[in-house]
Amino acid sequence: MVRIGTVAYLATHPTQLRSIIQWKVWHTPVHERDESKECESLKRCFHFLQETSRSFAAVILELHPELLVPVTLFYVILRGLDTIEDDMTIPLEKKEPLLRNFDQILDQDGWTFTENGPNEKDRQLLVEFNVVIEEFKKLKPAYQTIIKDITKRMGNGMADYCSNAEHNEVGVNTIKDYELYCHHVAGIVGEGCTQLFVEGGLANPALLRRPELHESMGQLLQQVNIIRDVREDLDDKRRFYPREIWSKHVDTFEDLFKPENKEKALAVNSEMILNALQRADDCLYYLAGLKEQSVFNFCAIPQSMALATLELCFQNYDVYLKNVKITKGDACQLMTESTQNLQLVCEVFKRYTRKIHKRNNPNDPNFLKISIACGKIEQFVETIFPSQKAPIDAKKNPASAEEAERSRKEAEETKWDNIYMVIAVVLTISIITGLMLIAAWLAGARFDIAIHQFKEQLGNFLGSGGELRNATSTVAATPSSPGHSEL
Amino acid sequence: MSVPQKITSLGKVVVVGGCGFLGHHIVKLILERLPASQISVLDLRTTANRQDSPTVSYHDGDISDLDAMQAFFAKTKPDVVIHTASPHFHLPAAVHDKVNVTGTKNLLKAAQDSGVKAFVYTSSASVVLGPHTELVNADETWPLVTGDAQPEYYTTTKAYAESAVLEANRTPTSFLTCAIRPAGIFGEGDIQVLPPMINTYRTGKNKFQIGENENLFDFTYVGNVAYGHLLAAQALLHTHRILPTVPLDSEKVDGEAFFITNGQPVYFWDFIRAVWHAAGDRTKLSQVWHLDKDFAYVIGTVMENLFWVLGKKPTLTRAQARYSTMHKYHSIKKANARLGYKPLVDLEEGIKRGVQYILDQDEKAAQKKGQ
Repeated sequence: MVRIGTVAYLATHPTQLRSIIQWKVWHTPVHERDESKECESLKRCFHFLQETSRSFAAVILELHPELLVPVTLFYVILRGLDTIEDDMTIPLEKKEPLLRNFDQILDQDGWTFTENGPNEKDRQLLVEFNVVIEEFKKLKPAYQTIIKDITKRMGNGMADYCSNAEHNEVGVNTIKDYELYCHHVAGIVGEGCTQLFVEGGLANPALLRRPELHESMGQLLQQVNIIRDVREDLDDKRRFYPREIWSKHVDTFEDLFKPENKEKALAVNSEMILNALQRADDCLYYLAGLKEQSVFNFCAIPQSMALATLELCFQNYDVYLKNVKITKGDACQLMTESTQNLQLVCEVFKRYTRKIHKRNNPNDPNFLKISIACGKIEQFVETIFPSQKAPIDAKKNPASAEEAERSRKEAEETKWDNIYMVIAVVLTISIITGLMLIAAWLAGARFDIAIHQFKEQLGNFLGSGGELRNATSTVAATPSSPGHSEL
Repeated sequence: MSVPQKITSLGKVVVVGGCGFLGHHIVKLILERLPASQISVLDLRTTANRQDSPTVSYHDGDISDLDAMQAFFAKTKPDVVIHTASPHFHLPAAVHDKVNVTGTKNLLKAAQDSGVKAFVYTSSASVVLGPHTELVNADETWPLVTGDAQPEYYTTTKAYAESAVLEANRTPTSFLTCAIRPAGIFGEGDIQVLPPMINTYRTGKNKFQIGENENLFDFTYVGNVAYGHLLAAQALLHTHRILPTVPLDSEKVDGEAFFITNGQPVYFWDFIRAVWHAAGDRTKLSQVWHLDKDFAYVIGTVMENLFWVLGKKPTLTRAQARYSTMHKYHSIKKANARLGYKPLVDLEEGIKRGVQYILDQDEKAAQKKGQ
């Protein structure tokens, strides 16, 4: 299973290997599904989840028990919708009503669909769609309503695109169209997920009052996919890069891929990435509204991956030549970092933001806009996790010229206070000493003798000291001090 | 606060320093957005940056002369005073004292005596910047850095003036004041930001970068700063209108200071590169030499001393090395919430206008020479 190339790569990239091992060894799921309590039809639904999704199955399976089944069913239902939309062997007149009425299908016991082309990857899901419907009926009514509503809106959106000849021929026209497309395929999903989280009591209900936040969650993921898959989509004759962006540089979309247009292709690349990058701070804001760890992980992992992918694609001409992908090691590191807390995810965002900024080309038409977008992410992270507090020590600085003058005077005054104090002490000691001396004199003390002896002793001391100093140069001095003998 | 929009005229407004860089942009914006206002520009010299409009009058005057100010205010009887006058950064300390501190106090006295309703003072974002700290998303809760702690005497005097203005708020109760703290003002006619940058490019020093360029910096287009002043004046007039009702603490504008920036902090060298690009530079990132921050600081020290001996201006100073590697950006949430401030002109457009202005000036100068 493991390819030689992979082994060689990991052997030469030990940090990557380390990340993989760390993830495999240390990651413990927040919640685990309990297979023993599942009925056959539910097991089948989980089977389809794992069959149809590469990246999402892992995070969905670790979700809180309250949301595990609703989100799984939400995912496979939308995947069913997608399987009909993608299948070019189904004629439009058959496809359109199916898409538009898919929400009603969820009420039809035993509904299955066998008319997908034989090459359609996920056709088996629709062949056995009755199990999904069976499980859907068991959901809490509130979850059913949410899922149905999103299914209906998404189905209608898809039907609109299928029947829109212009969209199919020339692709997306304006940036607005592009964002609308992303809204229909991803933004709505963000809305549905948010409603499920809030309904399940695992997210802050305030998230529903800020629709632009979950919209950005969906937009960022979808836009990153579109940016990364541009080559694959071209080969499949699909174009999602809006004309409004590429037409500034080339005449036809295919021209973007010509080697002589490399500079232009990179300019298009940075404008596409700028558009996605401007959503990043909203995503962090959204993540701050999630209350439960498994829900946080479910949302944070894809976002971190998206930002890392964005960085990988930025100013990377390979995007136009082949499929680019973040390495397994990086993915594992990102998963480890995205399953802890918001602060660490903010660090991830900041790290990739700076990497993007480092490669920002001053001659690119969107140079400054990208710089501003990066700065905005950094500033946002600072607003939720400030790295610096307002200094307190500066509070005693004078606020006005008067105050400065006052504190200067005060300092001056204290200085004089200290001087007066010293003078007072010295004066007091002198007076007391004087009084004592006078008292002694009155009592008959002979100061003249005392002074004479003092002088003598001092002279002796200095004299012998001088001798000592001279003697050190020779050997040892004779310590015969007359002062001592007197004692 | 959504109410200030109702104020559609500033009435009689005195713009002190209205022929200066920021001041004349304020005059222009008042003409544009609040055309019913009667504008009197007071400046030391009123020959430059004049607007040709019947609603603007120009008056020469020195704000350090209290008697002259009182006479002028008694005659003009303004409703609003916008005080933007400030000496050039490099002038001696005595000038800063005279203009920023004494001048501002004279204006306050004259305004209080003549029944002015609203007084808006142009302070500086640097009043909270100390020699050892960086400003990372700093807000108005940061304390002033003045006196011995403030290495720039100019900034100390700006802070003292700001305090004087805010302390005068509501004395008398009908006199309302606030302060605007702009950061890194640039635009048409600036002398401190764009011209030195363009000069660096033209002398071929654009191939160097000090530090990692990970420091975010606030630069603010002059039109946005002017807009902040207008909003502040309008908000004060609104508060004046509802007197004696005092606004909630969370909505209060009078007696408050506000950071005003473009709300678009960018990496320091990115801003410079964008300016250079607008001036014609096409240097690639791979051609740029990176100087280590500490190394640049050492070079700056050596240069300063060497050039001091030679009696010239050094090409790299320690202050430059510091400024180009430090974070200096602010939060404008307070201005947004209380003044309804949102920048009118984005950074890119601001650079375009500012650089174009310099290119045009140069072309005019070249034509004159050619004649």
